[in-house]
Amino acid sequence: MNQKPVLTALIAAAVLASPALAQSREVNITTQLKNYGGDGAYLAVYLTDAQGAYAGTLWVAGGKAKYYKHLADWNRLSAGDAKRLAGVTGASVGAGRKLTVTADLADALIDAGYEIRVDAAVEDMRDSPSELRVPLTTDNAGKSQAGKAYIQSLTYQLK
Amino acid sequence: MSWKSIHRWLGLVLGTLALVLGLTGTLLAVNPLQQAWQAPTGSNGLSVAGLVQRVERTIPGIEEMRHLPSGVVVVYSFDNDQARAVRVNPTDGTVLGPYQPSALPRWVKNLHRTLLLGDAGRWGAAATALAMLLLSASGLVLLLRRMGGWRHMTGRVRGSLAQRVHVVTGRIVLAVLLLSSVTALYMSSTTLGMIALDAEPEPEVASIVSGQPDIPGAQIALLQQVTLGELRALNFPDASDPEDAWKLATHQGEIWLDRYTGQALATQPASVARRLYDWALLLHAGEGAWWIWTVLLALTGASIPLFWISGLLIWWRARLDRPRITHNSPLTQADMLIFVASESGSTWGFAQALHDALVRAGHRVHSAPLEQFATGPQARQIFVLAATYGEGQAPAHASGALGRIAALPAGAVPVTVLGFGDRQFPAYCAYAEAVDALLHQRGWPELLPLERIHQQSAQRFARWGEALAAALGEPLALDYRPRLPATTALQLVSRQDYAGREEQPAVILRFIWPRQSASDRLRGRGLARFAAGDLIAIVPPGSPVPRYYSLASGSADGFVEICVRHLAGGVCSTFLLGLQPGEQVQAFIRENPGFALPASRRPVLLIGAGTGVAPLAGFIRRNERRVPMHLWFGARDPARDYYFRPEIERWQAEGRVASVRTAFSRVPDGGGYVQDALRRDAGRVRELVSRGALVRVCGSRPMAHDVAEILNQILSALRLSVAQLKARGRYAEDVF
Repeated sequence: MNQKPVLTALIAAAVLASPALAQSREVNITTQLKNYGGDGAYLAVYLTDAQGAYAGTLWVAGGKAKYYKHLADWNRLSAGDAKRLAGVTGASVGAGRKLTVTADLADALIDAGYEIRVDAAVEDMRDSPSELRVPLTTDNAGKSQAGKAYIQSLTYQLK
Repeated sequence: MSWKSIHRWLGLVLGTLALVLGLTGTLLAVNPLQQAWQAPTGSNGLSVAGLVQRVERTIPGIEEMRHLPSGVVVVYSFDNDQARAVRVNPTDGTVLGPYQPSALPRWVKNLHRTLLLGDAGRWGAAATALAMLLLSASGLVLLLRRMGGWRHMTGRVRGSLAQRVHVVTGRIVLAVLLLSSVTALYMSSTTLGMIALDAEPEPEVASIVSGQPDIPGAQIALLQQVTLGELRALNFPDASDPEDAWKLATHQGEIWLDRYTGQALATQPASVARRLYDWALLLHAGEGAWWIWTVLLALTGASIPLFWISGLLIWWRARLDRPRITHNSPLTQADMLIFVASESGSTWGFAQALHDALVRAGHRVHSAPLEQFATGPQARQIFVLAATYGEGQAPAHASGALGRIAALPAGAVPVTVLGFGDRQFPAYCAYAEAVDALLHQRGWPELLPLERIHQQSAQRFARWGEALAAALGEPLALDYRPRLPATTALQLVSRQDYAGREEQPAVILRFIWPRQSASDRLRGRGLARFAAGDLIAIVPPGSPVPRYYSLASGSADGFVEICVRHLAGGVCSTFLLGLQPGEQVQAFIRENPGFALPASRRPVLLIGAGTGVAPLAGFIRRNERRVPMHLWFGARDPARDYYFRPEIERWQAEGRVASVRTAFSRVPDGGGYVQDALRRDAGRVRELVSRGALVRVCGSRPMAHDVAEILNQILSALRLSVAQLKARGRYAEDVF
């Protein structure tokens, strides 16, 4: 727990249809896992739009494609995105550890019905698709939210 | 690179890692065994729809239901912010208790899969599995060679303790090891991304919201058709997502079902890779397999330390015996060429002795392995020293030698072949004979006819050296010094003198060994453990060459007993005949595993003549279990050489020997030779052999030959022969 893997992601253009990156904001998502007593968790952090459609992947923790089907919602929703893993993968996150994801998001995505969603899975334990869903709004920034099975708290900061 | 060297080097280099994987594998088998214990039985025919109805009644907020390979049904639910995982009884839906994925700490599994080194470790574990595959495959080839083919696979294993442990364990677990390594490699390649388990992405599915309520799981036709036996997992639709659907996973694939109508939205059949993976997991981890298979897997993992330790011992022994030829001249300059085919390396000791003797006599000598057989421009004599392995095969390194000789044009240089072997094996010196025959056929001249050396006999070798010196017409002193094990000083405590043959008195000597401290015993110092039928090597003063005597006692008796006949001019027998109580001899034990009696209730035929009765007396002495032992003993004159007579009579009274038949050849009406006694008892011999009797013969070589001949006649009525009994490990000889 004294080790904090700080992972940085610059989200790909697929999400940011906005041509002007100057109008983007940096978002810092900090996810603290519970001590669930299992191997490292696979996590998929991604965005969905107001209609619930997939909008892009912010981070995937865990490198074995064999296990992605256990991140069921993300795996299904993002199936059409050939670049869903481009530059946004890292190691799985151990129990009790913290994952920090940094991304540049277009202003247009904020307060527009978009949601940050996290799917989680741990080997030999339950899969938790939609472990956590939190609307991407200025109001929610800085507020802590708990997940269903594995996430103790998720907080995001807008800069 | 030969199979043997592949086997040796892989074992040495990756043995320690295999040890880790084997032991952790054994621990990991605990979990499937426990699950198999917990799993409900007889519920595989239940319909999934009914099961859904029953569990929904007892558990709120179900997200997923899994039918584990072991048969355990696990329900994952999320109720009042509380994630639960419970085992349920599929028959009535009651909760049996919380579900614990594994009772073992996680590091055991991670050590097994990744050596606790993350992804790099996965490659390491996969490499170890590959090594294990090659070790098993090469082990199988070596095993087949050693045992002499598939037909003899179940035969008796001969050799040192380490060799026997290695071979016997291998025979039992080799198939499981092969399967375990293949399945491990397959699973590794899926984890490392070399094989994709799911070729296609999952289909996009959504339940069609039309305002109607959810259809209860119990009413969905598809769930009614599927039985628990086929089920892998069922995901329930999420209450907060109106478009979510049921997802049913069976061994055939996955189906998504509309939450309102129960109709199939999409199907995806399981890929071939995925099905193979299921099988690999079943075979490798034993999850969902019959518990007996899981136990077998656990035992196989636990056998790795046995392989490792015995393998290391075998390697170390061979290393000590490795040839180190000094003063070796190049082939082109040498006038004397020595080619060696040696299995354990001991034949190289003889080669070195010959090499040194020829060098001392002023020759330039070239020694090389037999597979390099060739002649050189200066060559005047060629010697081939060849050991035989198993069913008459070449030693592993020389497997191509016959082909090489056959391909060479005949040379003008005389070739002399010397064979090394052990008469216990059916194909005694057969490889040397094959080499000799081929050389003749190819037209190579010979200096001396083929000579055979039994059990590395130094005396026989020295006699061959005399013949060689005569044939070469120059003095030649073969000074073969076997590497002797450490000797122990034995003290003579008693002697029983016999008149023996004319001019050849005999004596039964009883020795005790010095007390051994516990630490000496732990380190294997002092006199090794022995049993009747093993050999004791006595090193007479002033001679480096030990003489071997069959033991008439075992460690358990607390003394060493041998029966020695005086041989005219024999250094060792003269020394022993003159030994007085209180005096000491230097000695060490040599195992004679082919001759020792296995623990069994089969009747035993003990056939001996003269001093050859000694090991047979030792068997009878230890026959506490009163196995039916029958002794046929041939001697010359009951007054001169009926060795062990008082003891044999006492043992018969005690029931340690069921019957004793004697034959005395030098007294009127003595009954002739032991083979005559056997002929008179033909009916009884046949009856005992047909009941599975074991046969042990000890005596002179002509006697053993005559006994085998008469037994072949007696047993022909049973369509059995001595050769067949030998091959089945039921017949063994100890001849001198």
